[in-house]
Amino acid sequence: MVFSSQNKLLYIATAIGVTACSNPEVGGGGVVDDLGRTVVLEAPARRVVSLLPPITELLFAIGAESTVVGRTQWDKYPPSVVDIPIVGDAFDPNVERVVAQRPDLVAMYASSANEQAIQRLADLGIPTVSIRMDSLASVVRGASLLGRLTGTTQRADSLVRIFEAQRDSALNAPRPDLAVRVLILSWDNPPIIIGAKSFLSELVTLAGGDNVFGDVDAPSAPVTIETIVERDPDLVVLFSDDAPAFADRPEWQTVAAVRDRRFVFLQGSEFEYPSFRAFEAVRKLRGLLAKAAR
Amino acid sequence: MRWLALALLAVASVVAGVTLGPADIGWSESVGGLLGRGDETVVAIVRQLRAPRVLLAFLVGGCLAMTGATLQALVRNPLADPYLLGLSGGAGVGAVLAIALHAGGAWAVPAAAFVGALVAIALVYRLALVVGAGIDPRVLLLAGVVVSAFGGAILGAIFSLSSAAELRNAMMWLLGGFDAASWKVLGIFASYAALPVAYLYYTNRPLDLLSLGEEPAQFLGTDVDRLKRHLFVSASLLTAACVAVSGIIGFVGLVVPHAVRMVIGHTHRTLLPAAFLLGGTLLTVADAVARTAFAPRQLPVGVVTALVGVPVFALLLRRWAK
Repeated sequence: MVFSSQNKLLYIATAIGVTACSNPEVGGGGVVDDLGRTVVLEAPARRVVSLLPPITELLFAIGAESTVVGRTQWDKYPPSVVDIPIVGDAFDPNVERVVAQRPDLVAMYASSANEQAIQRLADLGIPTVSIRMDSLASVVRGASLLGRLTGTTQRADSLVRIFEAQRDSALNAPRPDLAVRVLILSWDNPPIIIGAKSFLSELVTLAGGDNVFGDVDAPSAPVTIETIVERDPDLVVLFSDDAPAFADRPEWQTVAAVRDRRFVFLQGSEFEYPSFRAFEAVRKLRGLLAKAAR
Repeated sequence: MRWLALALLAVASVVAGVTLGPADIGWSESVGGLLGRGDETVVAIVRQLRAPRVLLAFLVGGCLAMTGATLQALVRNPLADPYLLGLSGGAGVGAVLAIALHAGGAWAVPAAAFVGALVAIALVYRLALVVGAGIDPRVLLLAGVVVSAFGGAILGAIFSLSSAAELRNAMMWLLGGFDAASWKVLGIFASYAALPVAYLYYTNRPLDLLSLGEEPAQFLGTDVDRLKRHLFVSASLLTAACVAVSGIIGFVGLVVPHAVRMVIGHTHRTLLPAAFLLGGTLLTVADAVARTAFAPRQLPVGVVTALVGVPVFALLLRRWAK
């Protein structure tokens, strides 16, 4: 069992490594983004509007904070983002307010919800880069894309190297023989769980936990309480700061971890999306799991 | 014969609902669990989760179908369904507000949905009486549509001003499901629903007259205005409770009454109980499919009611249209 899970982790590590090395770079400063579009800038971007909190955080981290001229209303980290003007929402953005910041690059989440905005910005001659920020690997990918586009490759690459070293040591950390079986619950009615395709599931695995819905091949999915009872998690991980209201409802008393209030509360944006702080989150989570499982 | 078939279907759906589920529990194990024997987990799943859930789904399905049949007679429109009169919008605003404002307590969302539905009912009722002392079905329909649109607009405003993830979950709640089922919820719902269900059945004779038209009903000695007001209030209160325990489940209240008319006939004395049985059966089966078809994932039950119900309805239509 221990061997097979280590093999699996090695496999994941290789996959991440391959993604990082195979960054498709097109000559002449052009890069290919996560929607398969080629982004070509004549000069490094000087005025960037970021339409996703993890992208904003990456820009700040790689030393391109002075280029950020617009952000969403959801950005919280680093605290100095409050000084950047808000241009609205992350998905289906307000193009008029984005354009008003006179950006020479707009960075956003790679989603079909943004197709129309991408087209309208292209019509106005404003280049966009779409990045799928949804996994640990996407931190590496996003940082190198943004590093190239803003001319901060050196800082980005050194952060990536540190990140990869942290990842290797997390992957090589001794795993307990019996991993803590964890339910990551996003909502109670209908019960929506976090599945294998989520960044949070990656964090839990690296922290020595075992996502009881690791077989659900999606970021999240609705399930029945019955399935949760059958899988009998040791702990319930929640995005809240207090015992949730549903814990008092009769139907949830059938889940032993809920009945015994074995909750782990996640607070802080390092748990909400992938960033260079991910291994800080893993370390915190490891402590929380160990404390709760005792 | 037809009654026997309906009753057998109803019993079969309940048995199937209790013995089928995403957890790998055999038939005999399920029966043992129901009797309190066997593994602790199996007993908890069958007794505390499946049994109340299946019974709640049956009751809600029955109530929705019966309400649909009543409203179709009341407004004399085959397109009438329990949500026609605007309370889905009100319930939605209530539930989403409770979620967006982080209202505390284990029962905040259903309670807020119920209150929202009551507000919508009051608005529709007041609007429908603007024209005169009696309820004009056309004005009632219109009032329902505008109140619904108003609720939808408020929902849209809340959605665009709040954080996305949380409200996507609120949407999932609105789409309907029986995850909140427990013996406690079942008990509250059953004791609440008993009175309006009894009243709707009690009015079966005047409903027959009403579906002929208001003038014939009046001539035959029915106090039509009073009857219409009472029917509207009972049907609405019943639907409000359904929404509070299970969200907005479409299709059952619209199509089941039509299917029953084809099989059993138009007399409300038989139509109403038959609609109750068939509505309960359909929703119980739909919930079993929702729980098991893509296990461990779950589908919204409203999606399944239409997927299961439309082919059945098409078959009936072919057979009885001749």
